[in-house]
Amino acid sequence: MGPNAFPCGLSRREAVWQMGGGFTGLALMDLLSRDGFFSRQARAAVPTSPRPRQYPAKAKSCIFLMMNGGPSQMDTFDPKPALEKYAGQPLPPDKKFINSGGRQMGFLTPSVRKFRPGGQSGLPISDFFPLVRQHADKLAVIRSCHTDSHAHGSALVAMNTGKTFIGRPSLGSWTVYGLGSANDSLPAHVVMLDKRGGPISGQPNWSSGFLSAAYSGTLFRPTGNPVLDLTGATPRSAQRKQLDLLGELNQAHLKTHPDGRDLAARIHSYELAYRMQSAVPEAVDLGTETQRTLEAYGVGRQPTDEFGRNCLIARRLVERGVRFIQLYSGGGHLEETWDAHASVEKNHGQHAGEVDQPIAALLADLEQRGMLDETLIVWGGEFGRMPFSEGKGAPGRNHNPYGFSMWLAGGGVKGGMPYGATDEFGFEAVENKVHLHDLHATILHLMGMDHEQLTYFHQGRDERLTDVYGRVVKEILA
Amino acid sequence: MLTLLLLVFGQPPDFEKQVAPILVRRCLECHAGDDPAGKLSMNTLAGLRAGGRSGSALKAMDGSDCLLMERVVAGTMPPPAKGKARPLAAGEQAILSAWVKAGVPWPAGRVLDPYELSTETRGGRDLWSLQPLKKTAVPAGAHPVDYFIGKRLAENGWTGAPPADKATLLRRVSIDLTGLPPSYEEVKAFEADMRPDAYERVVDRLLASPRYGERWARHWLDVARWAETSGYERDQEKPFAWKYRDWVIDAFHRDLDFRTFVTQQLAGDEVAGATEASRVATGFLRLGTWNDEPNDAREYQYDRLEDLVHATSTAFLSLTVKCARCHDHKFDPVPQRDYYRFANAFWAGPVPAGSPGTLGGPPADLVGKEILGWTDLGPNPPPLKLLKKGDPARPGAEVGFGALSLVSALATPEAKSPTGKTTGRRLALATWITDPKHPLTWRVWVNRVWMHHLGQGLVRSVDNFGYTGDLPTHPELLDHLAEHFLQQGCSTKALHRLLVTSVTYKQSTLHPQAEQYEARDAGNHLLWRANRRRLDAETVRDAMLAASGQLDVTKVGGPSFIPEISPEALEGWSKKGAEYKPSPPDQQRRRTLYAYVKRGLLDPTQTVFDAPDSTLPCGKRESTTVPTQALALLNNPTAQKLAEALAAKAGYTGDDARFVEQAWRLALARDPRPGEKQAALAHLRQQMEGLGDAAKARQSLALVLLNTNEFVFVD
Repeated sequence: MGPNAFPCGLSRREAVWQMGGGFTGLALMDLLSRDGFFSRQARAAVPTSPRPRQYPAKAKSCIFLMMNGGPSQMDTFDPKPALEKYAGQPLPPDKKFINSGGRQMGFLTPSVRKFRPGGQSGLPISDFFPLVRQHADKLAVIRSCHTDSHAHGSALVAMNTGKTFIGRPSLGSWTVYGLGSANDSLPAHVVMLDKRGGPISGQPNWSSGFLSAAYSGTLFRPTGNPVLDLTGATPRSAQRKQLDLLGELNQAHLKTHPDGRDLAARIHSYELAYRMQSAVPEAVDLGTETQRTLEAYGVGRQPTDEFGRNCLIARRLVERGVRFIQLYSGGGHLEETWDAHASVEKNHGQHAGEVDQPIAALLADLEQRGMLDETLIVWGGEFGRMPFSEGKGAPGRNHNPYGFSMWLAGGGVKGGMPYGATDEFGFEAVENKVHLHDLHATILHLMGMDHEQLTYFHQGRDERLTDVYGRVVKEILA
Repeated sequence: MLTLLLLVFGQPPDFEKQVAPILVRRCLECHAGDDPAGKLSMNTLAGLRAGGRSGSALKAMDGSDCLLMERVVAGTMPPPAKGKARPLAAGEQAILSAWVKAGVPWPAGRVLDPYELSTETRGGRDLWSLQPLKKTAVPAGAHPVDYFIGKRLAENGWTGAPPADKATLLRRVSIDLTGLPPSYEEVKAFEADMRPDAYERVVDRLLASPRYGERWARHWLDVARWAETSGYERDQEKPFAWKYRDWVIDAFHRDLDFRTFVTQQLAGDEVAGATEASRVATGFLRLGTWNDEPNDAREYQYDRLEDLVHATSTAFLSLTVKCARCHDHKFDPVPQRDYYRFANAFWAGPVPAGSPGTLGGPPADLVGKEILGWTDLGPNPPPLKLLKKGDPARPGAEVGFGALSLVSALATPEAKSPTGKTTGRRLALATWITDPKHPLTWRVWVNRVWMHHLGQGLVRSVDNFGYTGDLPTHPELLDHLAEHFLQQGCSTKALHRLLVTSVTYKQSTLHPQAEQYEARDAGNHLLWRANRRRLDAETVRDAMLAASGQLDVTKVGGPSFIPEISPEALEGWSKKGAEYKPSPPDQQRRRTLYAYVKRGLLDPTQTVFDAPDSTLPCGKRESTTVPTQALALLNNPTAQKLAEALAAKAGYTGDDARFVEQAWRLALARDPRPGEKQAALAHLRQQMEGLGDAAKARQSLALVLLNTNEFVFVD
């Protein structure tokens, strides 16, 4: 379609909107649409209001369990018995790779934890995750993941946005752009960080990039003020009075500015903010959960308390219609994350110890409540680790973008199966390789979106999460 | 299209008017270039004769059984696309048939170029934005803006909105030109000033104010993707990035002519009589993100080239040249070769990983001490090769330096370095961009300025003047403004003066026929009223500082202050709060423009109001309304503190009525209306009861005023 197809001045965006396509305009239009300000057609086309899926899908929400720092596949979900045989030998010289950070090169090293079959399927999972293993039949473990960077900063951004450079919209932002939100008193895209710190590269990891800021991730803190500036020094009753006066002044102003849709939208946003002030604390308040549930998630006990709380909050957010929730395990740098340079046993022992029980509880809880079918769980880090150690002593492993494992469970995922394979060392993906673009395409598919159709026109190009790549891994679909 | 159908009986069709357009628009998309489909090149007669895999396209010249006509008549060529047949229309077939029958007359030496014409799917060099500026006469005495805007309104039988009242107009023009609202006293003085040139005097005062340079520098910093750190894991500081910011402020303040403005940013090190200031201007080329740990160093140098090409072509030309890095541009007449010609301007600089110097810049002895600048590493860089599919592992032919071929009338000036130490390519590129005959540069700039005054560009896609961008709503006006700008010595201040003195600019946001007009032109494309706008992120904060008497404008420029960021927000940072040291309180009173911009830790009170993330050039910000903005303005400690300061400044302890009046004057530059006053007094009483503290009650009222729509929007 050429530019002349549109009358002079009608922007392509507006035209697309009129055709019911991927319009993204002002978030204010969304606010208005909830109040019946706009027609049904317009409502279908505004930013965070619920939007139809491109095809039927089970998953309505996604919980992305981000193992920040890069867990080792050989020690968790990708058993490599051959490493026993090769222990102490160097990686064959024909295996080319970048030695990230120029670290010391040790020798091939077997898993530091034993693998055992789990569930009916017998899917092998190591002793770092004995409780998750009990849910093996729910997991599709992709053992052939690969990504584009060996450095945390770029690899994290790539796992979250598809590209190694900062500035692109995150997976969560694309999801909300595509599906909208099912709850207007809560943010649709929530990110919960590890108390030890944020991920490297920071905010670009949950940025909405060139999409509207309405899609960007909102940081939730498990304690204190859950959302930035949700409350302040003003007591709630006094805040109500502020909003009442503000409403009165703004209404009078609106009367002298009829047709002020933008003004009305902003008036409405204050009422939404007020609703958020009760909806958010309610959502993160674990006081109504039974003791049994709290115990199951490991809340109130170390080392599981923090991640347990976050997992439980994630379930509560899913119940309330939040679309995309990302939980970080590990924050800041090095051993505070899964970045096991010094010792896989010590590092993963600590971090897996923090998350194994909460994740198992989340899977069980969702299943028991009949929510697992509608919730997609994604587990993994920004890359994997090398099959060889770093020098002598306790084996630590360096970054490995060439092959690593991630698993999916829940909404629309076939469980109890491995998919793809790394070579006998676990060094690189060799069979049914799954690039992170493929992973993103699959996640979007499971949420009911076609990654090739989910586009946003920006600076002369129809942009996609998967750029010009991506293959849905159909083999793991239920 | 008409000419296509006019076949004169017995005469061969006109090649240029009738045949060439069919071949270019319908055949060359596939049958031209290095690897033509079916090995058939159709851009020369020789190519047609030689034919491709299926043999000569012109075997028999009687027009019936030659392969070309056979395929065309059968409708197999042009081939179906996406399952839809796309045969030539009967008239087009008739022309080709007549042409073949006449013995394929082809002008000697004529080579058809796929980019010479637009097709149904992409633009050619006939694109509107690539045509020379057109002069349209304006009747003597008419204001050009009002003449062109009025003409289109009149065509629809419409009239513009009545003029805005004086207070509204003063607020609009003050915020537009300086980013600060007028004070109560300024409004009163303007209302009382009955001199016929009272408004022009205000405009002159505002343009002369240092606040003007600060305001307009911020707009340019968006386009230049300005930030003070590199991004990524270490997010290193880009030392002296603030000097570039100050150079931009100064350029606007001094009304540096736009040609020099462009030239110094691209080649301030190469210009004759280069100064420290002109070298600082080359910081434009240093502002992109920079990764010290790229996965693939070889590929990363091409990523950096892309940033430089994209920033330059977007900022000055509003073209998406970067799309041609891997293949010919899909929508605009930018062959892949052009991308590499253009990129060659920067190839001599510290682009390759491992170049000497720091943080992706040249060494200090080349660029100068304490400067974030750019220069070539030497006059003879290695050749740059075109990369097939953008893949560094598949280098193609060497490509020399040159400008874009889409403006065929403008040749690339010769690259000559005055010092002999650089290639002179950037200077040549700047000379090409700033050629008075360039069809893009002037339109692009006047359109950016227009957008910041009128709310929307005449071309709404301000960063995209290509095929997929918007068409100008008022093409004659756009060209007239560009011409006028050139005639006025490329003075941006003169352009402001022209725009803000128009009746169009001064009209109200309210129109008596709004309902009727909206039904037909909801987007206000015809400018039948002024556009209401929400204050941008910086202006929200600056206006709050100003209203509360806290704004300190004494320090223009200098190193940035580190803004206070609440501890909650610091949790998103990998280093957490421990290492974050905000500047002392007196520094926090500076304009927001002077706040340090750290890519890994953007100030959430700014991003929530759509401040850009600074990774890519951004000519037009989003303007969203989301509940988190309300939370930030109600509960953020800075908002609370400024409300407290406003309440204190309003004074009149013990006299609530006078206090209310004063608070209104400070926040909204007017007196409260009786109903408002009553509501405010009631609020003070209620909050006094609940909070038990008169100061807190007053702070509460002040906060409400800073949250009003009247405060946050400009009409």
